[in-house]
Amino acid sequence: MVVIDIHKEHQEIWNYLSEVPDPEIPIINLVELGVIRNVEKQNESLIITITPTYTGCPAKKLFEDLIREKLIEKGFEDITINTVLSPAWNTDWLSEATKAKMMAEGISPPTDDNKVVICPKCKSENTKRLSQFGSTPCQSFHSCNDCLEPFNYFKCHR
Amino acid sequence: MKITIENNEAKFLFRIADTSLILGQRLAELCSKGPFLEEDIALSNCSLDLFGRAEELYKIIASIEGNKFTPDDYVFRRNEREYYNIKLVEQPNEDFAWTMARQFMHDVWAKEVFTQLLSSKNQQLVGLSEKVLKEIEYSLIHSRDWLYRLGLGTEESNSRTQAAFDHLLKYVEEIFNFDELDKTYLTNVENIEKVWQDEINRVLSEINVERKEIQPLTMRDFRDGFHSEHIGHLLSIMQYLPRAYPEAKWS
Repeated sequence: MVVIDIHKEHQEIWNYLSEVPDPEIPIINLVELGVIRNVEKQNESLIITITPTYTGCPAKKLFEDLIREKLIEKGFEDITINTVLSPAWNTDWLSEATKAKMMAEGISPPTDDNKVVICPKCKSENTKRLSQFGSTPCQSFHSCNDCLEPFNYFKCHR
Repeated sequence: MKITIENNEAKFLFRIADTSLILGQRLAELCSKGPFLEEDIALSNCSLDLFGRAEELYKIIASIEGNKFTPDDYVFRRNEREYYNIKLVEQPNEDFAWTMARQFMHDVWAKEVFTQLLSSKNQQLVGLSEKVLKEIEYSLIHSRDWLYRLGLGTEESNSRTQAAFDHLLKYVEEIFNFDELDKTYLTNVENIEKVWQDEINRVLSEINVERKEIQPLTMRDFRDGFHSEHIGHLLSIMQYLPRAYPEAKWS
């Protein structure tokens, strides 16, 4: 699965964008989350293409503001941010490294079609779902039957 | 500048966009008033999906119309008669069984509508439909699960679910009185009614709720901007701030 189409010639800009944390799950950044789809440079102007995780994600507008803020801080002035909906964002765009990072921070990463949900604390697979909806649109709420840890699970979305 | 609609496709899309928006607003009313915390969050999440869906549809409408109106203009600057949502979704929350019955009836309809829009000639609409179908499926799991819990729960929860369907089914008939616009932009309007009736009947029969012969309310068509009395109250709350303070900005 291709995680992100990183254009080598704009590596520097991708690196800057990797410094922008997801406002709701700050342990991962916008590049890791897969919402940044393309970076283009035309002379001095930058065109960033993003895609929202969910159409109603409240962080949608904030993504744009944070990206703009970061690029201005890095000395860019002419910045255009376009939003595309297709191909639709999905959790297959999260790399294994990103998932490991989530797990280490206490968010259970998405598994194939939500079949197994692993407790981020004791790694048990014996967990139960408490609510189909979690604290953000991309998460649901679970608890561990073994160690009793309550935790968020980043839902498989494809 | 008054908001007008010139294009037929835009006119058609307002029906779907407004339906998403108004249901989103109904669910948003329950934010902080949900029956318990997890459900409060669930309802708010579903509301956000519906608002997001409406917002994207309004953007598509503006691009078809070739005007400069923003989703906020469409939402906050139209009056009752300029809204084209189905009457079902403007019905008040009354109790939790109503909320879930209304949601389920909407979700089954929306799923088939967006499935048909996958064949649209408008590529923006196809992209959006692919995306929202995943979200509708998730909402459908939620609303259908609740109907099983309520219908097969206690005598009280069953009777309230029965009452909810008895009332809300009065508003359904107009949805299936398809006009030329529906027939132009949807691929198979008959199938929308068939899929809807089959699924509603299937679930009701499994949850011990009777599908009674309901006399539909004789109100004029939502396609012409006719509504039940509730829409005005809903809009007055939703639109109050931007109408009273047009310069207000989030800071």
